[in-house]
Amino acid sequence: MTDTRFARMKDLPSTHWLGAGTPMCAGCGGLQALHQIYDILGNKTVFVNAAGCMTLLSIYPFTPFRGSWLYTAMGSAPAGAQGIRDALDILLEQKHIPPEEDLTTVVLSGDGSAYGMGVSATSGAIDRGLDFLYICYDNEGYGNTGQQFSAGAKTSTSKGPRGYPGYKKDLFALWAANKPAYVATVIGAEPLDLARKIEKATQLKGSRLIIALSPCPTGWDFDPKESTEIGRLAVKTGVWPLKEYQDGRVSHTKIPKERLPVEDYLKVQGRFAHLFEPVRNEAMLAEIQQRIDDYWADVV
Amino acid sequence: MFNIRFHGRGGQGIKTAGRLLGTAFFLEGYEVQDAPRYGAERRGAPMSAYVRADRKPINARGIITHPDLVVVDDSLIPVPAAGVLAGIRPDTVLLIASHEDDAVWRSRLNLKSPILTIKPSEGADPASVSAACAGASARLTGVIRKENLIEALEDELGKLGPALLKANLDTVLQGFESMSAHQGLVRQSEAIALIDYQKPEWINLPLEASELASATIQGAQTSVQVRTGLWRTQRPVVHYEDCHRCWWVCSSFCPDSAISVNEEGFPVIDYEHCKGCMICVAQCPSHAIVAIPESEAQRLERQGEQR
Amino acid sequence: MNRKLLTGNAAAAWGARLAGIDYVPAFPITPQTEIIETLSGWFERGELQGRMTVLESEHSMITAAGAAAATGVRVFTATSSQGLLHAMEMIYTVTGWRAPFVLVNVSRGLSSPITLEPDHNDVLAARDSGFIQIHCANCQEVLDTMLIAYRLAEHQSIRLPIIVNLDGFYLSFTREPVEIPDQSEAREFVGEFDPGQIKFRASMPESQAVAVLGGSPYSYFRYETHLAMLEALNVYPEIADEFNARFGRFHGLLECFECDDADYLFVMMGCFATKAKDAVLRLREAGIKIGLLRPRLIRPFPSAAIAAAVSEKKALAVIDQNLSIGKGGILHAEIASVLYGIGQAPPILASFIGGLGGRDISQEEFFEIAQTLINASKTGETPPPRLLYTAREFKELKNLRAIAQVERQQLKENQP
Repeated sequence: MTDTRFARMKDLPSTHWLGAGTPMCAGCGGLQALHQIYDILGNKTVFVNAAGCMTLLSIYPFTPFRGSWLYTAMGSAPAGAQGIRDALDILLEQKHIPPEEDLTTVVLSGDGSAYGMGVSATSGAIDRGLDFLYICYDNEGYGNTGQQFSAGAKTSTSKGPRGYPGYKKDLFALWAANKPAYVATVIGAEPLDLARKIEKATQLKGSRLIIALSPCPTGWDFDPKESTEIGRLAVKTGVWPLKEYQDGRVSHTKIPKERLPVEDYLKVQGRFAHLFEPVRNEAMLAEIQQRIDDYWADVV
Repeated sequence: MFNIRFHGRGGQGIKTAGRLLGTAFFLEGYEVQDAPRYGAERRGAPMSAYVRADRKPINARGIITHPDLVVVDDSLIPVPAAGVLAGIRPDTVLLIASHEDDAVWRSRLNLKSPILTIKPSEGADPASVSAACAGASARLTGVIRKENLIEALEDELGKLGPALLKANLDTVLQGFESMSAHQGLVRQSEAIALIDYQKPEWINLPLEASELASATIQGAQTSVQVRTGLWRTQRPVVHYEDCHRCWWVCSSFCPDSAISVNEEGFPVIDYEHCKGCMICVAQCPSHAIVAIPESEAQRLERQGEQR
Repeated sequence: MNRKLLTGNAAAAWGARLAGIDYVPAFPITPQTEIIETLSGWFERGELQGRMTVLESEHSMITAAGAAAATGVRVFTATSSQGLLHAMEMIYTVTGWRAPFVLVNVSRGLSSPITLEPDHNDVLAARDSGFIQIHCANCQEVLDTMLIAYRLAEHQSIRLPIIVNLDGFYLSFTREPVEIPDQSEAREFVGEFDPGQIKFRASMPESQAVAVLGGSPYSYFRYETHLAMLEALNVYPEIADEFNARFGRFHGLLECFECDDADYLFVMMGCFATKAKDAVLRLREAGIKIGLLRPRLIRPFPSAAIAAAVSEKKALAVIDQNLSIGKGGILHAEIASVLYGIGQAPPILASFIGGLGGRDISQEEFFEIAQTLINASKTGETPPPRLLYTAREFKELKNLRAIAQVERQQLKENQP
């Protein structure tokens, strides 16, 4: 990372572009990532929102954005971005607006839309080479309605009372398979890595997609103050690999030197209590650890 | 009919308190309605819960505009959005969970309504305060027997296991007993009478310009007018003598853009908006940010103003 | 004069072209596909300036259409039947954006069973969405209505999207002589799109279509959309008169054919109404004073104009090419709501369901409907609702069913 303006932590923005006063929960890991991203993107943006927790960022007459926003629906935010991008291009071509009136189109969605209902619209946008940035705040469940499991749910057990009988869908791979300009995973707990990736994304054209793992105190059941620590544990245990895709290649941007046991990440969240109580589910814990080890064994 | 309104914060047991009272009424043979009501805000934000109970089938629904009993956490009384005092009548009983005395609240609020307080025990979590309030409310109605309150509690909280159930039971019964001198203070009220009712001032809505008449905000950052600082129960305070000015830590991690950086490179917390998540406290490398209870912080502020 | 044989689909495409559209988000579906194919060819050959984007679904197509209109360009799109239903979430959503554009719907019956032929249940599913709806009866009307629709949609006091409806096959694939207005004259009539304050620009931050809390602001925004649409009843006649003055063709809120001195009326929407016109002429020759009333605007519903047109008639027959399952004809119910409480309401309002899935309505059936009205008028008794369906059709259905059931039948017979 030589050509970045974010060499060290102290290069991070010290002024914030996203307004306070939103109704997101205290300690929201999604809002943490979003405000860090917005600090870099700035106000010459139009956010196209898909139904999710962040629908409620803008509630009449309050908005935290210094730029623009359009609420669409759960299934079609990338199509909304398409309509705006096309319209701005037409207006620029016809010289009806000067270049300084142009906006970057940004889709903002939760994992419910990104991993499920919105996959078709995202795939279509990538196929068409839509010039846009997609930000998914991934809190691994339908957080706005009480944390029902979405296809982005992490990993759990088929035996526990609250278990999701499957493993997290690999959205990064799904997106990368469409060969867009850029795909990256980020997390608010690693702001420098996040800043560099957003900086890179803004310098590229075409479809650029970002997945931000978003620790959710309400849905994951932990004290809000632990939000950042849990995010950091997700990286240190190898549960959330920080990586990027560009020009057909995937590279990891932060490889944990010595991965902590996944248990360290799981045991601090109420949503995984069934793995430890009333008795430790050794088999399941071993299986989860094995999956993570298998993933990293393939990472050079 | 009994019309009872609880005011509290999301995630602090208000919904459970309402259900507990509703179930207790039901076990007494009452017709009951109970419901929580949320806004868009989440954990920590003001919310309310309603309980109606009557010997006849209940036809009313939704918001209780004229309560017979209001139960409230004292930190919410000055919050306009919480609407704690909305629609109260001279005979509406106010039950306030507060460290301050009845007399303080009577002089502060200057209302005709009877005012009672219930003191949270030291270090009590908000959910147990809500439970105590539910017990106290039950006694104030004068129609709920202790055994039915206990059965209601077992119905509602039995799933938590025997230890937690026992702890809650003690709290609820303490609340119940604390109001023994005021048993039956809450009066049932009747529906609004037809005679002399206040006419609704209906209008014919005019057709207005589309940019005004659509849910469009033509402005930036209007959200700063929302004082999410009111959600806070704990306050992060920067001890500047310990601060190493590594603002990029706390200022980046604060999800709410509530930590700005001043010219000298010190972080400054915006208490109008800080929701009290305490991420900054947990992440500060030099432990220069500490958490103190919001009520304590406000008390110190008031003292400072007086000095 | 440029008069050509055009299909209804081509007429719709010509209307869009003459209106000076900038942007076409598209998705193919029979019987609408010819419209976007025609436009696509014009874009490719440079005969039309602007851009077409093929989306991955109608849901996305309507999202893109609304988003582009909200950014300030003139948008056209088209769909049909299942496509309209797939888009329905966004059909409702975009009307609240107050971003005007025109959507052509080529009517086609809905699944199940799936069919390609027309009736109006698809477009009527969008009845309460906030889209203005104009229904056409011939190919000339399709083209003309496109120009009128842009004027109406973009009118500063309205600003709502419009569905221009034409019937699949009977108009979409049917060629008729159509006079194509002069390009410059058409552009002059339609004018430039002024997005006003609703647009996305870097210099003007704007949050569109945000959430509201509580029923009170919600009521305000929804009712304002209603008021804006009702305003279209005031604005439309001015635009129709101006169109008539410029192009010499009048397209009113309603078409009233032989209505003035009529005792009886057929009430219909869409292109099957022209069949009723023929029947009116034959019945008039036989001395029966009957006419045809055809509402062109279905939303906003021209209640006052309809009330005036049917006042003092003896009997009406509403022939619905749709079916609200569990209720009956939709137009019948709408007309009934207009008549209740007006002084000279016709005593007889009969309901007929005909033309579902493109099933033909014969002249003899129109004659029989007229006879039913005359009889009902004499007895004062409204006949029960009737599906136009003959004994012969039922017999043919049974023949089909025999084939469909043949294997089950054999299995039953082979059982010991």
